[in-house]
Amino acid sequence: MSAPTLKTPSNPTTTAAPAARKRSTRQNKSMAERLIAPLFLAPTVIGMAIFTIVPILASVLLAFFRWDIISAPEFVGFSNFADIVSDPTVRVSFLNTIVFVIVAVTLQLGIAMVLAVAIQGRMPNWLRVFFRSAFFFPLILSAASVSIFMGYLFNEQFGVVNWMLSVVGVPAVPWLTTSGGAAAVVVLVYVWQNFGFSFLLFVGGLASIPKELHEASALDGATGWRQFVNVTLPLLSPTVLVASVMAIISALQVFDQPYVLTRGGPGDSTRTAVMVIFESAFQQLEFGRASAIGLVLMMLIMAITALQFRLSRRFVFYQ
Amino acid sequence: MTSTQSSGQGNSTLARAGDLSRRTLLGALGIGAVGATVGAWPRLTGADIPGRNSTALNVAILGTSADAAARQALVDEFTSLHPDIPVRIQAIQGADWRDFFSKILTMVAAGNPPDVVYVATEGAQLFAKKLAEPLDPYLTRDAADIQEYFQDVHPSLIEAFMYRGSLYQLPLDWNAANMYLNTSALQRAGLDRPADDWTNEDFTAVMRAMKSTTDGSFTPYYWTNRLFGGVVPWLYANDTSFLAEEKATGGDWFWDRFYSKDPTRSLRSGGYLWETPNAEDPRVIETFDYLRELVAEGLGVRPEGGGGNALVGLFASSRIGATPAGGYWVQGLHEAGMGADDFDVQFFPRWRTQRHQFGAAGYAIMRTAKDKDAAWEWVKFCASKPAMELAFPTPNTTPTRRSMVNQSLYASTGPEHWKVFYDTLDRFPTSGPIPAPPQQAAVETALMKNVSVAVSGSSAQVRSAMGSLQRDLELALRSNQ
Amino acid sequence: MSTLIQPRKTRLPRPGTALRIAVLLVAAALTLGPVLWTLSTSLRTPSESFNLPPQFLPLNPDFSSYAQVFQQVDMILLVLNSALVTLLIAVGQMTTAALAGYAFARLSFKGKNALFSIVLATMMVPVQVTIVPVFMLIRGMGLSDTLLALILPAIPTAFGTFLMRQYFLGLPNDFAEAASLDGASPWRTFRSVYAPLAVPGMAIVGILAFNFHWNEFFRPLILTISQENYTLPLGLVTLQGNLGTGSISVVLAGVILSMIPALVVFIFGQRTLREGLTAGASK
Repeated sequence: MSAPTLKTPSNPTTTAAPAARKRSTRQNKSMAERLIAPLFLAPTVIGMAIFTIVPILASVLLAFFRWDIISAPEFVGFSNFADIVSDPTVRVSFLNTIVFVIVAVTLQLGIAMVLAVAIQGRMPNWLRVFFRSAFFFPLILSAASVSIFMGYLFNEQFGVVNWMLSVVGVPAVPWLTTSGGAAAVVVLVYVWQNFGFSFLLFVGGLASIPKELHEASALDGATGWRQFVNVTLPLLSPTVLVASVMAIISALQVFDQPYVLTRGGPGDSTRTAVMVIFESAFQQLEFGRASAIGLVLMMLIMAITALQFRLSRRFVFYQ
Repeated sequence: MTSTQSSGQGNSTLARAGDLSRRTLLGALGIGAVGATVGAWPRLTGADIPGRNSTALNVAILGTSADAAARQALVDEFTSLHPDIPVRIQAIQGADWRDFFSKILTMVAAGNPPDVVYVATEGAQLFAKKLAEPLDPYLTRDAADIQEYFQDVHPSLIEAFMYRGSLYQLPLDWNAANMYLNTSALQRAGLDRPADDWTNEDFTAVMRAMKSTTDGSFTPYYWTNRLFGGVVPWLYANDTSFLAEEKATGGDWFWDRFYSKDPTRSLRSGGYLWETPNAEDPRVIETFDYLRELVAEGLGVRPEGGGGNALVGLFASSRIGATPAGGYWVQGLHEAGMGADDFDVQFFPRWRTQRHQFGAAGYAIMRTAKDKDAAWEWVKFCASKPAMELAFPTPNTTPTRRSMVNQSLYASTGPEHWKVFYDTLDRFPTSGPIPAPPQQAAVETALMKNVSVAVSGSSAQVRSAMGSLQRDLELALRSNQ
Repeated sequence: MSTLIQPRKTRLPRPGTALRIAVLLVAAALTLGPVLWTLSTSLRTPSESFNLPPQFLPLNPDFSSYAQVFQQVDMILLVLNSALVTLLIAVGQMTTAALAGYAFARLSFKGKNALFSIVLATMMVPVQVTIVPVFMLIRGMGLSDTLLALILPAIPTAFGTFLMRQYFLGLPNDFAEAASLDGASPWRTFRSVYAPLAVPGMAIVGILAFNFHWNEFFRPLILTISQENYTLPLGLVTLQGNLGTGSISVVLAGVILSMIPALVVFIFGQRTLREGLTAGASK
C-alpha cells in the first residue's frame, strides 16, 4: 500500500525518498549485528508466544473438552462445535453479531464520510478545530461509562431521548425493553462512540488527494456529486478499505455496550458472540464451549479480513 | 510529549537539542516506569491487600469496601470471643448476585477460593451442589447452642437452604416480595391502603385509579426483570412457577430435632428441587398475559434487566406508584428523603393463592476451607442474636430472627405496617424461595431474556415466548452445573 | 483546503456552506449533548436527577454526589490502579515495540518477513479467544488477582510493533551509515541515533496504549477479583449499585470523575493520539 503518512521528524535529509532503501543489500554483517536482532525481538516475540500463541493452541485443545475447572476435564469430541449450530442462543448470538457489524459499520462509515466531506468546506479555523475535537471526544471515553449514561438517556419513561421525541409528538419508544429498541440502542451507542475514528481516517485520506485532480475535473465540468463519485471516492478507496477493515474487526468483538446496557436482552436480541463466550466461561464454567465459540469468532475475523483484501484488489484504486 | 515533537522540527542544531531532550524524556519515562514498578511492587502483586495470603479465615461478601468496614464491629466481637481465629472480610463488588457468584467461581478457578461465602437463595443450590460443605455434623454436635436460633427463625427460611436432605446455610437476612405503595399516589387516586387479602383484580383497579389521577411521566407499577421480584411473585400467587417445583425427601433428622413442635412441621422437606421446565403451563401463560396487559394498558413499565438502579430515585420522587420489594428497601427510601408516612407496604395481591416469593442469605462454608471448624465458629457466631444486632443495625434488609423485626427497627423510617414483613411467613407458610437450581446463572438468563419479549407484544407472542423459555430452560438445566 | 472547492462554488448547485455547517453543528450537538447532560445531572441532588425537561447546563451545582462517590468506592485507589496499569503497559509497549520495530525495519535476519507476518496476524486474534488460557497461565504464575495479571499480557503489541517499524522505515538511512563509519556498535546506533529520533513514534504507541487500557473493561472484569485491584471502568459499573439502592447522580459523578485523566490526554495529546489512530491506515 501507500507510503507511511506518519510524521517523521523533519530534517534536511528526510526529503530523500523514505523507507525505500533495501537493507538486505548489505553483505558483511558483524557478529554484533547477528546477535542483536534476536535480542531486540526477544521481548515482543517471547511475550507473544506466551500470551497469544500458546493460549490459542491451548484454546484449540480445550475446545474438545468439557471442563468446569472444579472437576477433571472430559473429552467430548466436536460436541462443543456442534453446540454452536444447535444451541439457539449461540446461533442467534452469531447472527446478532453479523447483523450488528453490518448495520453499525455502515452507519459509522456513512456518518464519518458525510462529516469528513462537510468539514472540507470553507469555515473559520477555530470552528473546524471545534468540530474535529467534538467528533474525536467520544473516542477517549470508556465504552463502559458511555453505556452507563446512555442507559439513563434511553430510559423509556424517564429518559431524555423520549422526552425530546415527545416534544415533537413522537410517542415514547421502548428503547431498552424491546428487542428492536435495545438492538437499536446498542448500535447507536456504539456508533456514537466510534464514528470519530473513521472520520479522522477519512479527513486524512481527503487531505492527501492532490487538489489538482479536483481542479482538473471541475474544469471538465464535473458537478459536486459526480466529482465525488468519479474522483474523490476512487482516490479515497484505500482509506475506505482500511477504515472498514478496522471498523469490522472491532465491531465483531463488541461486548462492553451490550454487557452494560442490556446484558444481552431482551430475549437474545443484543447477545453477541463475545457475550456468549463470557457467559459460557465465567458464569456457567463451560470453558471448552467458550473456547470453541472463541475459535469460530477468530476464524470469522480472519476470513472477513482476507475477503476484504481480496475484494480490494478488484475495487480499490491505488494512486 | 507534543513539545518534544515540535522541538524536533527546525534546523539541525535545534534537532540535535531536540535529540537531547528526547533522550532525557525517554530516560525519565523509563526511570519513572522502573520506579513505579519497584515502588508499587506490593500494589502490582496485591501483596499490600491486608490479610492476603494470610491464614486468616477469609469471608467473602457481596458489597463494597464500605460494607466490609461496616462489618468490622462484627469481626472485633468475634475476635474477642475467638482470639485464635483471625478473620478477614473480603468485599466483592458485583451488580447482582449472579455477578458475585461468577466472581467466586473465578476465585475458585484462580486457585484461591474464600473459606466462607455469604450466599443468597439465588446461589444456595449452586453452592450446595458444587462448593459448600453441609452443616449437618456441626448442627448435631452443637445442637444445644444453636437451638435458640432456630426457635427465633421461621422454618420456611431454613427450608430454602436444605438441599437433598442436608442443611448448608443458616440464613441471617431475608426479604419477601411485598408490595410497596406510594402514599401520595394513593391519596391522589382517593384510595386507602388496600386490604390484606386484596386480589390481582383489586391491584389492577388501584393501578388504573393511580394512572387516571396522575399525568405526565408517572407509571403506576414498576418492576424489574430478574429472579427476585419480577414475574415470579405473580407466578407464585397464581399457584404456579416457570420451573416445576418438587421437594426432596430427607431432612427429617433436622426438622424433628429443631422444629418438631412447629405447626408447619408437616410441610417441611429435604429441600426444593427445580428440575423440569414448566414455562408452557396454562397458568404461567395466564400470568404472563396478565402482566402483558398491565404493560399494554400503560399501568406497568416494561421491565428492565438487572436491579433497576434508578428505582429508589423514581419512587422517592413519586414517579411510580407501586413496586414489589422487601424490607431491604426501607433504609434506601429513608435515605432518599422519604418520610415514614410517604410510603407503606402491603402483602402481595392474592390470585389463586397468596403465596409469596422470598429470598434469604447466610454464610456457607466452602469445601476447600482451610479450617472448617473455625469456619463453623464464624457461621455459628454470626447467627447469634448479638452478632445479628451488630450486623443489621438499620432496616436495609430484614433479619431472619423474628424477635429483631420490631418497632424499634422501623421507628425512625417507617413504614407504618412494617409488621407485614415477617407476617408474610406466618400468614402464608407455603411461601417459597426464589426458584434457583444449581444452574442459576443459565436459568436466570433464560428467564430474563424471555420475560421482556413476552410482556411487550401480543397475546400470541406470550405463547411463543413461553415456548422459547421452555426450550432455553431445557438447555439450561441440561448444562453441567 | 478551502481553496480546494472554490472553482466549484461558482457554478454548482451543491449544498451551501450554511447547510454543511448546520450538519456539522447537529452532529457536534449529538456528540457533546449526552456528555453535558451527564455533567449537569451529576451536579444535581439525587431527587432532582430525573427532572424533565433535562438541563444541559449545570446551574446551581450540588456537589454532594461527588462526595458520595468517594464514600462508596475508593476512588483514589481506582485511579491509582488504572494509572499504574496504563503507565506500565504504555512504557512496556513503547520499549518492546521500539526494539522489535527497529529490528524489523533496520536489521536483517533470517525469516524476517515470516516472523513479521506472524506478528501482524496476532492483531486478528480477539482477546476473548485467549482469555481462558491466559487466565490459567496467570494462575500458574501465581499472579491471579493482581495488577501484573493485567499488565504483563498486554505488553507485547503487534500494532505498536507495526507502527514503530513504519516509523523507523521512514527515518533516513544516512545516520546508520555515518554511525557505522564511526565504528559504533549496532546497539549504540539504535540507542544514540535512532531511538531518540523515534520518540514521537513511541509517544504515539504510548498514548494509544493509554487510551485503550485506561478504558479497558473486558480483561479487568475477568482477571481481577479483589476490589483493591479494580480499575476505573470496573469500579464505575459496580457503582451502579445492588438491589436498586444506587443513585443515578452518584453514578454519573463517578463517570465524570473517570473522564478527567482521559480529558487531560485529550487536551495535551490529541494531535499525537489522532496521528496514532490514523497511522494504522497507512500500511
